[in-house]
Amino acid sequence: MQRLAIYWRVWKMSGTNALQVAFVNRGTNLFFLLGKSFRFLISLLFLLLIKEQVTTVGGYTNDEMVVFFLTYQLIDVTSQSILRNVYQFGSQVKSGELDFLLIKPLNPLFRILTDKPDINDLLFLFPMTIGSAYLLSTLSLSITPLSAVLFAVLFINGLILALALHIFIVAIAVSIVEIEGVVWLYRDITALGRFPVTIYHESLRLALFFLVPIGLMTTVPAQVLLNTKLSVSLPLVFVITGATLILSVLFWKYSLKKYSSASS
Amino acid sequence: MALSVWSVLFVNQETLFSYNRAEMISYIFVAALLQGLILATSLHGLAQRVYSGEISSLLLKPMSLFSYLAIEEVADKARNVLATIIESGILLVLFQPQIVMPSSGALILFLLWTCGGVLLNFLFSLLFGTLGFWSPETWGPKFLFFIFLDFSAGKLFPLNILPVWLQTMLSFTPFPYLTFMQTQLFLDKVPVGDLLKHSFLILFWVALLALLNSLLWKRGFKSYAAQGQ
Repeated sequence: MQRLAIYWRVWKMSGTNALQVAFVNRGTNLFFLLGKSFRFLISLLFLLLIKEQVTTVGGYTNDEMVVFFLTYQLIDVTSQSILRNVYQFGSQVKSGELDFLLIKPLNPLFRILTDKPDINDLLFLFPMTIGSAYLLSTLSLSITPLSAVLFAVLFINGLILALALHIFIVAIAVSIVEIEGVVWLYRDITALGRFPVTIYHESLRLALFFLVPIGLMTTVPAQVLLNTKLSVSLPLVFVITGATLILSVLFWKYSLKKYSSASS
Repeated sequence: MALSVWSVLFVNQETLFSYNRAEMISYIFVAALLQGLILATSLHGLAQRVYSGEISSLLLKPMSLFSYLAIEEVADKARNVLATIIESGILLVLFQPQIVMPSSGALILFLLWTCGGVLLNFLFSLLFGTLGFWSPETWGPKFLFFIFLDFSAGKLFPLNILPVWLQTMLSFTPFPYLTFMQTQLFLDKVPVGDLLKHSFLILFWVALLALLNSLLWKRGFKSYAAQGQ
């Protein structure tokens, strides 16, 4: 418990620092916020335009497609807001700053992943969540209290999967130093979760459920919320999540063993 | 993703938003190629380079700053296009989609309009670079512009699926000439009578942006100090 309190204190401090930086660069952050809002609205506009032309997409109604998109948005923005520091990890390896993190009495992964929370994304979460809740209330869906609770559980499960995938990214970055390409590859693959991954080609669908489990992150939670047939059973979802997390930590430890600290 | 999504949308439809399946698939491939050729740029950080004074060393070189930046841009585009060709090639082999090909005349004009698009985006990048003369907050406006450009250039989806009033508004801007109009020409969706008008409009936007750049860069250099560089 005391250990957790220490981690909370450290995160609060880095969060406060990020907030101060955000307030110093108010103009820039306002533009970022506008940009994210615009992108969100454009994606919704696309779904509304499709609604006028087709009644179902891959077996899902247009209202259900909106739920898949909103679920993706919620999980993606939340995970990005917390784990944004990963984007800077490449430069931390290059400059040797990683060595300073390794000698601290904290798990180095904690600061590598969470050091600079993205204030823009955190701020964007509020209007986005309110807007999404309003939008959901206008759709013809059959959401039950049980499906809402299960959705909350799978939302946390989705964040754990995002965490595991980010650990894989930083583990790769320790070995190859270059991280930008890997992060953008992750972003591009994650973007496939904007739509239910069941609509994709079978090989891609399997990869998105079992290899890079974006489908478990975004599609299954939405399916639970909608009370539709699950593509992967819940116990299997939790098993894959646990296995992905364990594998990512093992890979991170393996990468650290190979790390020679050559740059510092 | 676009390929998969549109393929699913066309499962039970012959045409969608006045596109048939082959036309839409062609749109996706051509837009992807133009994304690497027109929209991708190496000058994202130009404003920051100006603000930090990094361009001082470039100003001392025996070639103009804009020539140097243009060469950087061409090299970056060559790399992007190569990557896009490899990526598209793999997708073409895997999915073997039906691609619509334009006539040779349309193809020549397509290449000219693409050059116009490249020039337009280069001028936009230079324009954003001038922000660095007066403000350290350079990334925010550029980010918002990128997001808007992805939409208004037709990278995300064809602009003619939008409501007519929105299409009309966008037609008064240079953004459709940064991908959308080139794809329409490729797909033979531009009336022959309008070809000259659009060609002149590209030239008009290039001239206007070049003039604006000239004014702003001159004014910017007057206030440029770069102490400590």
